[in-house]
Amino acid sequence: MPTRFSFLASRLSQTVLVLWVVATLLFLIFRLMPGNPLVAYIDPNFTAEVQQALLRQFGLDQPLHVQYAVFLSNLVRGEFGRSFFSREPVSQVMWQVLPNTLVLTLSALLLAYAVGVVGGALLAARRGTWAEAWGIPAVLATRAAPEFWVGMLALALFSFTLNWFPSSGATSPGSAYSTWWAQVASWDFLRHLTLPALTLALYLQGLPTLLMRSTMLEVMDEDFITFCRMRGLPERTILLRHAARNALLPVVTAFALGIGYSIGGNVIIETVFSWPGLGRTLVRAVAAKDYPVAQAAFFLIAVVMIVMNFVADLLYSLLDPRVSHERQ
Amino acid sequence: MIRILVRIAVAVVVLTLTAGAVAVGQTQDRRVRELILLTRPQAVDPQEFEMARLLAPEFEKLGLKVTVRVMPWEQLADYVWYSRDKWDMTMWQMVGRAERSDPDEFTFNLFHASTAEKGYNFVGYINSTYNGIAEAQRIKTDLKVRRQLIFEAQKIIARDVPYVFLVFPQSSYAYNNTVWDPKSVVEQKGIGLKNFWTFDAATPRGTQKDFVLNTADPVQAINPLFISGSTDSWITELIWDRLLRVGPDGLPRPWAAEKVEWVDSVTLDVTLRRGMKFHDGHPVTADDVIFSFTAPMGDEVPMYKPFVRVIDKIEKRSDTVIRFTLKDPYAPFLTSSLAKVNIIPKHIWEPVLADLAKKPENAESYQEQVPVGSGPYKFVQWKKAEEVVLEANPDHFAAPKARRWVLRIIPNVEAALGGLRNGELNFLSVYGGDPQILDQLAKQTPSITVVSTMDIGMRFLAFNLRRPPYDDLAVRQALNMAANKKAIRSVVFKGYATVADSFVSPALEYWHNAEVPKLNYNIKAARDVLAKAGYEWDADGRLLYPKGKVETLVGK
Repeated sequence: MPTRFSFLASRLSQTVLVLWVVATLLFLIFRLMPGNPLVAYIDPNFTAEVQQALLRQFGLDQPLHVQYAVFLSNLVRGEFGRSFFSREPVSQVMWQVLPNTLVLTLSALLLAYAVGVVGGALLAARRGTWAEAWGIPAVLATRAAPEFWVGMLALALFSFTLNWFPSSGATSPGSAYSTWWAQVASWDFLRHLTLPALTLALYLQGLPTLLMRSTMLEVMDEDFITFCRMRGLPERTILLRHAARNALLPVVTAFALGIGYSIGGNVIIETVFSWPGLGRTLVRAVAAKDYPVAQAAFFLIAVVMIVMNFVADLLYSLLDPRVSHERQ
Repeated sequence: MIRILVRIAVAVVVLTLTAGAVAVGQTQDRRVRELILLTRPQAVDPQEFEMARLLAPEFEKLGLKVTVRVMPWEQLADYVWYSRDKWDMTMWQMVGRAERSDPDEFTFNLFHASTAEKGYNFVGYINSTYNGIAEAQRIKTDLKVRRQLIFEAQKIIARDVPYVFLVFPQSSYAYNNTVWDPKSVVEQKGIGLKNFWTFDAATPRGTQKDFVLNTADPVQAINPLFISGSTDSWITELIWDRLLRVGPDGLPRPWAAEKVEWVDSVTLDVTLRRGMKFHDGHPVTADDVIFSFTAPMGDEVPMYKPFVRVIDKIEKRSDTVIRFTLKDPYAPFLTSSLAKVNIIPKHIWEPVLADLAKKPENAESYQEQVPVGSGPYKFVQWKKAEEVVLEANPDHFAAPKARRWVLRIIPNVEAALGGLRNGELNFLSVYGGDPQILDQLAKQTPSITVVSTMDIGMRFLAFNLRRPPYDDLAVRQALNMAANKKAIRSVVFKGYATVADSFVSPALEYWHNAEVPKLNYNIKAARDVLAKAGYEWDADGRLLYPKGKVETLVGK
């Protein structure tokens, strides 16, 4: 349909514009920070000539607008350069840690939202009872409790006391798998994934639970629910079939946005559980002024967030026929 | 009449105030400026930060205003190294390494005038007598004579106070004694349990035959031509051989070389051990050894270049004998050069270095996919940010008793400790936490043994001798006397350290001079030293330069 197509086109161009602004800001922040940008790369034994040669090689002796042009052209081609720290291509650095982060984030989010949706619906159904009176503070507490504290407690209990789960890494020491998929499907990997994913899920489920509960309460007030009751449908069917499905819409979009938020922000979980992910890599890159990796990681996070934002909008318009992006 | 008197009175008041202002201004001119003490952040090195915070108030008791400024490590190193005229004083440390078992590196690099502009003598200490001694100890191969010279060097430095030496920390390491036979675990003087000899010789007692140890930071590179970090060097030590190795007693012993003979004071014949092979099957030949020492002489290997600078030429006298000719006699050659340079395969690195010569990058940018050496352990895999796995090389002349060596990257200190306790780790190789907790763990858990060893490396406060007031010996002595080293030892290191008076650690028993002049912690005596040198204090208690000298560096 022409109007939907033009909606897509306009959103796409908006996305590109936002990405360009983000890229420019990233460029400026790193270039304008005080200090020698190559400090992490150059060691004191380098002579002045070698340092100059390196500055030239990285283009850091060029005027800012020339650097900017080079930066943009590289960005468009997906060329992020080489890490100052490990000297390997940035894309390789990211590929080594990004899959681990994706697995952790997605599994935690799926678990959190599954539990949150059910929990939220139940809380809405039990309005005014003691379950609600205890439930809401409990959910708020999980959200307020610091992730590292919960993580350390989980380690102390499930790993060090009960010995049910290992305490660090994504796989057992010295283990090797033929492909990454073989590793992810292995029992060993799942055992290592459990504690960090559970800790993260505990933190994340607060949002979908309370969101689901409040939208459910709104939906339960609507006319069609009253009509269902008049028809004599069992409460359970009303709850699950009619109310919950409608209340799910904001939660679905929150899920899409949640992926965007979580993609780079798990550094605490990754540090507590020694999970080899993107968050730790990013923090280390910023601290060590490893510009290429830091830039690429920030840009990746921005891309994911903006794309997921777009996806959330699309989902909403797909799921709810009342919402339309077409011009009236 | 009254008007005249009033005018006179006003004039007198104005003159007095002006004179007072001028006097104050002059004492303001003489007032020593605010001094900046640099340190690394608390999160990175809590001990260094706490030491700075303990030193600053004590210095203020001398009438100085001292501000502690925190900088991230890269920035601090950059500032101290490249802006040598800008900083006042900084916390610093020299890390203990096996090659530093020979005192030459500290004696020469830290205080000789030649390294003042660009090298390790960043404090700018210039003393021609000391230069002579530092140069002499390098060429005297007679151990007793060298010892006297090293003693003299320590005495001069203790007298001149270019640093305030603080402590030699103790390093604590732990291992699981049901996995590793305690009799086979080696404690190396000045280094501790975590050393090459333990990794090579430790004997497994039960079914667990893999070393599983930890580190907090990711591995940067596995490259025999790059000193990329202390953790990375444990790996290079295991994958590549060297002609000699520093033994547990701190002295060099033959390793890839069967024997080493001084022909004269500048000529050394090295006989290569027969039958050594690289991990890809190629034999280790004299050509490989010669290549390993000539490669760093070029521009592609900057970190190893200083260690081969003293070599004039290298000749192959036979298939197994290599003759090194030095430019000048150099006593530490065995430890600082032959026990330091890695033996690399010529067939792999020659084309690589030739290619790099055409680009501005150097050998530090090159990472082999499967690093090949001839050492007791072979490379298996490297999962970035997670672990490095090596396996024993059964063809090696000193093949390890362990089966594999697995280094896990664990940034969380408590997880590392817990991992040791529940068996996930069997060797605790990095522990940044409270040493008392580790000791407690050992007491409660009979399967865990903890050993604390005094380090070769030291912590100190460095003065910038190029900037007043540090160019005055009296000020440096007074600041030394205001440093409460015993408090630092007990509060910051919880007793797990030794107070330092010299740059040579007591761990190096042969070289350490216990009789250097020491200045004890005494604020009153420190103030007396300053008073005797002509310093005074103004009405606010601030320290003033002696008469005739003003502060020239305000705001710089």
